[in-house]
Amino acid sequence: MTATTPSGDVLGPGLEGSVPDGAAPVARSTSGGPSGPSRGNGPTGPSAFRRTMARREARIGLLFALPAFLLFLAFRFGPAIAGVGLSFFEYTIGGTAEWTGLDNFERMVNDPIFWSAMRVTLILSVLIVPLSLAISTFMALLVRRSFRGSGFYRSVFFLPVVTSLVLAATVFTWVFSTGGPWSQLMGLIGLSTDSWLGSTTLVLPALALVSIWSRFGYGMLILLARMQDLPRELEEAAALDGANAWHRFWHIIMPQLKPTLFFLAVIETTASFQIFDLVYTMTGGGPARASYSLVYQIYDQGFKYFDLGYASTLGVALFIITIVVALVQRRLIGRDK
Amino acid sequence: MTTLATPGTPGHPGTAAGTTSSTGLTPRRRRSKSSGMDLTWRGKVVRYVVLSLAAVVTIFPFYAMVVLSLKPAAAIQFPQSLIPTNLGFAAYDRVLGAGNIWTWFGNTLIYSVVSVVLVLAFSAMAGYAFAKKKFPGREAMFWSFLAMVMVPYHVTLIPTFILMAQVGGLDTYWGLILPTLANAQAVFLMRQFIMDMPDDLFEAAKLDGASEWRIFTRIVLPLCKPILATLGTFVFLWHWNDFLWPLIMGQGTDHWTLTVGIASLQQQDVPLNMILAGATISFVPIFAAYLVAQRYFQEGVTMSGIKG
Repeated sequence: MTATTPSGDVLGPGLEGSVPDGAAPVARSTSGGPSGPSRGNGPTGPSAFRRTMARREARIGLLFALPAFLLFLAFRFGPAIAGVGLSFFEYTIGGTAEWTGLDNFERMVNDPIFWSAMRVTLILSVLIVPLSLAISTFMALLVRRSFRGSGFYRSVFFLPVVTSLVLAATVFTWVFSTGGPWSQLMGLIGLSTDSWLGSTTLVLPALALVSIWSRFGYGMLILLARMQDLPRELEEAAALDGANAWHRFWHIIMPQLKPTLFFLAVIETTASFQIFDLVYTMTGGGPARASYSLVYQIYDQGFKYFDLGYASTLGVALFIITIVVALVQRRLIGRDK
Repeated sequence: MTTLATPGTPGHPGTAAGTTSSTGLTPRRRRSKSSGMDLTWRGKVVRYVVLSLAAVVTIFPFYAMVVLSLKPAAAIQFPQSLIPTNLGFAAYDRVLGAGNIWTWFGNTLIYSVVSVVLVLAFSAMAGYAFAKKKFPGREAMFWSFLAMVMVPYHVTLIPTFILMAQVGGLDTYWGLILPTLANAQAVFLMRQFIMDMPDDLFEAAKLDGASEWRIFTRIVLPLCKPILATLGTFVFLWHWNDFLWPLIMGQGTDHWTLTVGIASLQQQDVPLNMILAGATISFVPIFAAYLVAQRYFQEGVTMSGIKG
């Protein structure tokens, strides 16, 4: 986390500051603090004063947390439960809901469009995640030391990250159009000049390239932050012992980056599973459903056909797949060493 | 890309030597700061070349967007079209005159600004409560917040839409904004930040008879400025670029945001220079803000770790 902290961190970001400092377990002291029984003199004694204070504190705490919590209940917690619930219903926008048990799931399993959307989504992830991680790492290594212009390059590489995907989609539709820069580039190296967006096989690589363009700066920055925390001594010692740049990277930097790469892999995979904006704006799922992704199907079912129950089922499927993939990645990357 | 002996691209374990210079050959111990890892001038040149190529690839779409938006429609042939001659604002005139761009711009601005203010207010309050107050149910509340960070947006999308449709929130600002204010991550970040503040600060103010609200607005909020700036930038950016939610909430064109409007231009047969003029208009505010406050953008996005 790159958040700047005020003053020295006194408490540290422990999971839950359950019992602050040495406050006795009985005394619900006012948010701890070493000041002891503050003004608690008088006939009632300190303990009664403290109790009213604690009650006041609790009331205030509750009041302060309430707006966020209510919003959260209404728009995150509630809908998450409802989303799972809805997947067992036949629900139409007219407001009729009918319990259909596992029908939606059965339909999904037998739905060729769902499997095709799954395939598209997985292919996109496979294209995007490794390449994006590799490019992020490569760029981070190039700009990790400060030199004249290093700040400029970092800013440039981060610019696509703050740009909307819809905007990127409008420009890249032109880039990939017939006769556009990409097709002419392909022509120069002797390949077909047909638009990639019109090809059922090349549309996914095209979308993947746009996605990578828009995201690599994010991974670069995360890795950069981590690289700057690494002790220089190890690398220097290895350099003195004659290790070349590749060896220093592979044997010294890389192992220390593993947790960060795992984190990034999960984030990137989750993001690529949810690809929608680019598909919607650049291809509309085409040609011939060749870029019809899972979230695009959710949108289609929910907001074109208003089959909200089935759309929720697809949402649940997306959720489960996301978790499964994160667990698999954890085993693959998180383990060894 | 592979000319430089820089790792990152997997494979080629052998090609590393060459450019990276003095690795180990000349153990210059005195300059311990960079012993053995300095690039030779050749290495430096290669690094600049690679970086500059990457920068050109990164910037090219922005350049093309701006130049093409300034071209008359007939002239949009690659590569001649990218030479910045014969420029004019015709496409801007047309897109501003014909479309609802100003409406979309205003909607986007309202969507982003109102959300930033409210998210910051609610998350700072909740963060303060979770960090410094003890109240019944605190743990349960906090952990439920945390658990929901994992649940993807698309699982809650449809029920939230149904809910908003039923309470008449379609095509309204409040319907658009309200559900996006439930931001567990913001609360979490605020709590982390406030937890690090020493309790004595609040105790002292309390002894002086300051009310809780006063402590919050006069002590907590000013101390939170750095995190509020970072978080605010991120929330603004997220809303400005948000697409799917405004797309389903805005049924009529009057209620679209810029992203939805531009995507619709893209899908109709609008001339490219007009689409790109619209895209440029939507990009200018973000770009200007990025130039001024890059640090907050970079911190905000890396801290929250999410992009569309």
